[in-house]
Amino acid sequence: MSAIAVSQVSVEIAGKPIISEVSMDIEAGSWVGIVGPNGAGKTTLLRAVAGDLGYQGSIKIDGVERHAMDTKTRALALAYVPQRPAYPEGMAVFDYVLLGRTPHMGPLAAERSEDIAAVWDALRALSIAEFAERDVSSLSGGETQRVSLARVLSQGTAVLVLDEATASLDLAAQHEVLELIDEIRLERSITVLSAIHDLTAAAQFCKTVLLLDNGKVVAQGLASSVFTEEILRDVFEPTIRVVEIDGNQVVVSLRSEGSADAK
Amino acid sequence: MFRRIVLFVVGFALIGAACAPDTPSGQPATSSTEAPASQSTSSSTTASTSTTVPIPIDDGFPVTIEAENGPVTIGQRPERILSLSPTSTEVLFAIDAGDQVIAVDDQSNYPPEAPFTGLTSWQPNVEAIAEFDPDLVFISFDPGDVIAGLEAVGITVILHSPAPDLATAFAQWEQTGVASGHIAEAVALVGETQKRLIDAVRVVPDEASDLTYYYELDDLYFTATSSSFMGELLSATGLQNVADLAPDPDGFGYPQLSTEFIVDADPALILLADTKCCGQNAETLAERPGWDTLSALSSGGVVELDDDIASRWGPRIVELFESVVAALVAVVSVDA
Amino acid sequence: MNAGRPTSTQTRWWWIAGAFGITSIVVLVAAGVGAVEIAPRDIFASAWSRIPLVGGDSPLNPRDDAIVWQIRMPRIALGLLVGSMLSIAGTAYQGVFRNPLADPYLLGAGAGAGLGATIAIVYLPRASIGFVDLLPIAAFVGAIVGVSLAYLLGYTVRSGRTSVTLILAGVAIAAFLTAVQTFIQQRETESLREVYGWILGSLNTAGWSDVTLVAPYVLVCSGVIFGYRRLLDVLSVGEAEAATLGVEPRKLRLVVIGFATLGTAAVVAVSGLIGFVGIIIPHTVRLLTSTSYRVIVPLSFLLGGAFLVFADIIARTAQAPAEIPIGVVTALIGAPFFAVVLRRSKGIVS
Repeated sequence: MSAIAVSQVSVEIAGKPIISEVSMDIEAGSWVGIVGPNGAGKTTLLRAVAGDLGYQGSIKIDGVERHAMDTKTRALALAYVPQRPAYPEGMAVFDYVLLGRTPHMGPLAAERSEDIAAVWDALRALSIAEFAERDVSSLSGGETQRVSLARVLSQGTAVLVLDEATASLDLAAQHEVLELIDEIRLERSITVLSAIHDLTAAAQFCKTVLLLDNGKVVAQGLASSVFTEEILRDVFEPTIRVVEIDGNQVVVSLRSEGSADAK
Repeated sequence: MFRRIVLFVVGFALIGAACAPDTPSGQPATSSTEAPASQSTSSSTTASTSTTVPIPIDDGFPVTIEAENGPVTIGQRPERILSLSPTSTEVLFAIDAGDQVIAVDDQSNYPPEAPFTGLTSWQPNVEAIAEFDPDLVFISFDPGDVIAGLEAVGITVILHSPAPDLATAFAQWEQTGVASGHIAEAVALVGETQKRLIDAVRVVPDEASDLTYYYELDDLYFTATSSSFMGELLSATGLQNVADLAPDPDGFGYPQLSTEFIVDADPALILLADTKCCGQNAETLAERPGWDTLSALSSGGVVELDDDIASRWGPRIVELFESVVAALVAVVSVDA
Repeated sequence: MNAGRPTSTQTRWWWIAGAFGITSIVVLVAAGVGAVEIAPRDIFASAWSRIPLVGGDSPLNPRDDAIVWQIRMPRIALGLLVGSMLSIAGTAYQGVFRNPLADPYLLGAGAGAGLGATIAIVYLPRASIGFVDLLPIAAFVGAIVGVSLAYLLGYTVRSGRTSVTLILAGVAIAAFLTAVQTFIQQRETESLREVYGWILGSLNTAGWSDVTLVAPYVLVCSGVIFGYRRLLDVLSVGEAEAATLGVEPRKLRLVVIGFATLGTAAVVAVSGLIGFVGIIIPHTVRLLTSTSYRVIVPLSFLLGGAFLVFADIIARTAQAPAEIPIGVVTALIGAPFFAVVLRRSKGIVS
């Protein structure tokens, strides 16, 4: 059974169709990347899956229709990092990560030792245990990404939904964070669904990708079959080149010869 | 004892004024009473000023009055008087000028035959007042440009602010008499009031100067010190006001007392000027925490006053004063 | 490495102990001073004599005894209850709205109570029913109705139902209710001072009866907010993220606002609209200790009570035997104190 089964899903926001009839199957333990230009509907699709948007069609998480889940059940099945998470000023990293344990506690209960242990476990998995007492709003970009990941990890779900986990990072930090996600995914057999704007990174880390444009699926499947110059030039721009370096697909956009400076 | 003597002096001075009928009748009547305007003048100055007032005889109009709001000339006997002050309403009716009163404000409620209207004196509406077509308006405070507005449409206005002392109140009554053409009645009213006050003071027992009183304005323990109008009036009894111990930096005369202080002071008389507003009486006092220990509650020293009389400076203050003196006599006889 | 929570994220015991200590000192001072001078040792001897079995004779005469036990002590108890409730309710409002300016009167509780009290003062017979004073009941109902109206209005707005919509609805309702209240007040100027006095707030009590009337509301409502302190932390990452953590923000908001309002209505009913406590105490706690509601909620509760009793000491003694309205004192000493805390904390952060 697939970890996430999306079938004929359409979402409207304020009467405007944002995505229409998207279908995909995500195998348990795999990493699927959602790619596409800005405004293609990547975030909307993730939010429909993660639970804060209504949808038409069917989204099943571990066989259960997402609509039918209550908030808490959903939070135990799936964890979500939005594109721009809120980092409350003055909150300690430990407390922030502890928020991930919320669905495991009763509404009025305090944290138990197993919750504390889960937080330390997540902090160590992301190598940020030494930041436990730091103010979460004072960290660097790469560090905050790790803190967010630690929070969803402490949530202990089988599915992680990440919206642009590396958007604001430099190349090295981006690579480091993606490696970490992949390690954790393998180690804990977690299914990862993420929106990624960097096609080269998507090609390297995601087993399969789904290419969205204008809310519709243009192509999906193995990265090698989706990231062809023919498909990408249609969606992005005609100057896209796909080259292979050491067996990896690298997607670049070259300046056209007719552009201003090249003359 | 000092205060009692002051009252006497003030009283006789004013009676003297009332009995000075020798203004030549043909002379254009001008009244130069500055007393109501300058509230800071002491009672004795006020009194002596009023002795020099030439009282116009034969209701001789036109008459010019030095009112608080400047000189006011009234050309002829006003026949359409409008009162926006409950005190003025009471005074007008007490000096037989009631027939000339066409409307009174929504705060006036005495006497019952007064022509009550919905006119608000709190934020008077010039147009609404003008609609009654009055020829003279009495007002006790001007929240904005009401006087200027009324004068702009040709209506004569006399401002009688809350009197700080008895002498000012008397002067206002007399001025009301001059303005309405009832001088003789106004002078008689002042004289009668003084006589009754003096009679009441005469029966005050000597023990009074050793006793204290607490004057309650509402059940939040707001009170009036001796520098207030009512406090000054009551000081004629020789009683000590417990509120005089309270610092009164702004000189407003109406501090809020601490309830434990009142209980500790154990005043011989408790004067309730909040029987109407707040439904207070001897029974509700007994229910207040700690108040059942007060001696005034067991000796009949609780005097239930009429809020309206207590908050005005009209002719009925003498009734209030007499009731306080009566209670004082009763309390002293219980103790004796 | 570490088995428990890091120390900085724990509710440190000395914060709680310190708050308890401050509260105790303030209460002891409050018991010892007043418009009437009664020797503190006599007061303690009197307290001691009241303990059953241990006993002894009270050195106080009946009148001083009444002053201490019927007037001063209930007033201190009421100060603790009212201050604690306003402070914890302010904390709750700030938490659910993620808005530092939120206070217990934000959604119209204050304006509603003010209108209710004004109606009672102006139109209902005072104490004429004898056994029931209608003013607190009217103020209580007014507060609940005010917030309910804001909620209904906020939830009929189609576009949002967000916390911002709710705040705006509260502002609209509060403005409307205040306008009605002012209208009534201006028409019946005889009651002006009474209405005004009530709005400024007072801890003058009807003895222990007020205390026993309010205590259950304060304890239950504070207890519930205390229970939700961790979920207020969850809300601090925003409603959308809180929802992915298994919390239903709207439900949580409704419950917390409901209890905060109920408690506020109860204390406002007996003490009037005492301002400022609900804002400065939570913020002072936040600036001095931690931003986590796990810490702010209990400390606000303790220090809110201590602050109001302290303010009342000044109200009772600064101009003794006259009193200063307590609402004036809370603002007069609260504002500068808060300014100092704000400045100092800025220094620490930068």
